[in-house]
Amino acid sequence: MSDQLVPEDLEDLYENAPCGYLSLSPKGRIVKFNGTFCRWTGLRPEDLLEKRLRDLLNVSGAIFYETHFAPLLRMQGFFDEVALDIIKADGELLPVLANAAEKRTEAGDVLFTRVTVFRAHERRRYERELVNAQETERAARLQLEKANAALQADAELREQFIAVLGHDLRNPLAAVDAGLGQLLKRGFSERTPTILQLMQRSVSRMSGLIENILDLARTQHGDGMVLHIEHGRPLEPTLTQVIDEQQAAWPEREFSVDIRIDHNPPVDHVRLAQLVSNLLGNAVTHGAQDLPIRIQAAGNQEILEVSVSNGGKPIPAEMIGELFKPFRRGSVKSNAKGLGLGLYIANQIAEAHCGRIDVMSDATETRFTFSMSTIDRSSNNTRDYDD
Amino acid sequence: MTILQRNNISIDGSGERTIVFAHGFGCDQNMWRFVEPSFRGQFRTVLFDHVGAGRSDHSAYNPRKYATLGGYAADVVEIGRELGLKDAVFVGHSVSAMIGALAQIEAPELFSDLVMVGPSPRYIDDADYTGGFSEAQIEELLASLADNHMGWSAAMAPAIMGNLEKPELSEELTNSFCRTDPEIAKQFARATFTSDNRADLRNVTARTLILQCRDDIIAAEEVGEYVHREVAGSQIVYLDASGHCPNLSAPQEVINAMDAFV
Repeated sequence: MSDQLVPEDLEDLYENAPCGYLSLSPKGRIVKFNGTFCRWTGLRPEDLLEKRLRDLLNVSGAIFYETHFAPLLRMQGFFDEVALDIIKADGELLPVLANAAEKRTEAGDVLFTRVTVFRAHERRRYERELVNAQETERAARLQLEKANAALQADAELREQFIAVLGHDLRNPLAAVDAGLGQLLKRGFSERTPTILQLMQRSVSRMSGLIENILDLARTQHGDGMVLHIEHGRPLEPTLTQVIDEQQAAWPEREFSVDIRIDHNPPVDHVRLAQLVSNLLGNAVTHGAQDLPIRIQAAGNQEILEVSVSNGGKPIPAEMIGELFKPFRRGSVKSNAKGLGLGLYIANQIAEAHCGRIDVMSDATETRFTFSMSTIDRSSNNTRDYDD
Repeated sequence: MTILQRNNISIDGSGERTIVFAHGFGCDQNMWRFVEPSFRGQFRTVLFDHVGAGRSDHSAYNPRKYATLGGYAADVVEIGRELGLKDAVFVGHSVSAMIGALAQIEAPELFSDLVMVGPSPRYIDDADYTGGFSEAQIEELLASLADNHMGWSAAMAPAIMGNLEKPELSEELTNSFCRTDPEIAKQFARATFTSDNRADLRNVTARTLILQCRDDIIAAEEVGEYVHREVAGSQIVYLDASGHCPNLSAPQEVINAMDAFV
């Protein structure tokens, strides 16, 4: 087949060119356009004539056009490869790349401006993908950095935790070992009950530690604290038992108890016992040896309050906010005073009961007060069980 | 880095009084290249780029300082004091009209005359006030700058790097003109289009001329008229020019109006 040259039809080339053409008057009004532009946009001649280029753009595009591309055109006499979104007749956006050039007289006056537009769907999509990929990558990196920092903090915490745990278990274990040694060596004697009591104290301290560690593991793994709420079970025996245990462990300390519970709220008794036990342990450890530890409990139809107070040096104000954080003790000290978990766990238990623990500390006394609402919203048949 | 370098200040002309020309959002001091030369005979003329625009020192850009127009106004006051201005004329295009007003309020001794070209104290409609844009439209603009800055910059780069077809423009001009760091453009857009300086207008004490274009989608006639009402003793002149940049599209009209005023 021969390659016959047919003369190009210039009018058809303009009208049906593979790109859109617009011509603007010196004042920027559309005066001429080709068929391709109309086909691509669905706009009719009456939608285009006398319009400005910016009228075909969405608001943000129009602002950017007016503040950036229109000045560029006036200054340079042209612009190339400008990304625009043209609003089609159906309201959809047509992403295009536009070139524009001014046609001027020799004196420099603008005769008209020619604009050529190319569809840029694919290119725009590609650019968006690049931007999205960039953003995704950045977000992923940030997340990774955060996870890394958390892991590192976690690792440090664990290391510290293990050191403190080893330290804290060693002392009571040594006491038990010493007690056993004495018992084995001397057999039963009049000192035996005292030795056994000391050993029991050490064992209960160790079991308290282990209890708290297990709770920490649970709360830190996000499982939260699961409560086994019992409705109407009398609270006073639960409290008395905890106090008796502590009194047995610390016979030389004076515990002054005042319990007035008129109404038994739905609580997890084992947890509440643990809460009070931790507060008592804290008072025994940090309170002045020669001053009594006072326990006050009061409960009515609306509120339950249990407070534990001790004498001795007040807690420095700057420490108050740190009290309920795990491992607040910070570093391993020679005079081990526990893992620093007791108050953290107590607070977790309080929060699980929708309650709170408040701290008041001055030269007279240091008092931790647990309070919770006793209005039972979960059940309607057990509130007056105790009456 | 001096203030003069920071804001890429160019000084020309000679005269007792000084005219300071300030560009708006988008582009740089070259916005004034068809207007400023006409005043060199009678005035000392000062052109500058806002920090983040044109050939200013981009390392001086501080997102917190420039989060509001106040940061830009503080720069104008610094420039005025550095140059020892007294009773000078401040000509601000677009958002710089308000920046100039804020600077004039802060340091009234610097500027006795204010020319506001296409001013708007607030772009977003509010109760009885028509700014021209809904909040959603401005959010769309800011989002499109945020989402699509690569699209913008990819589109911008070839245009400003392109071969010179207009020999009177130097290469360095075409390379810098209208080029904005996309991050800075985004923040300047936010500072501009979310500003509300209506309450400040009453505190302007300079003689004020407002130049209002026809068909300006960014600062419509009723916005210019609002400014005219609020600035005591101000004059308003309607230009035949259309669009938002009469300093480029109808420089002679701007020159004539300014001449008659100063």
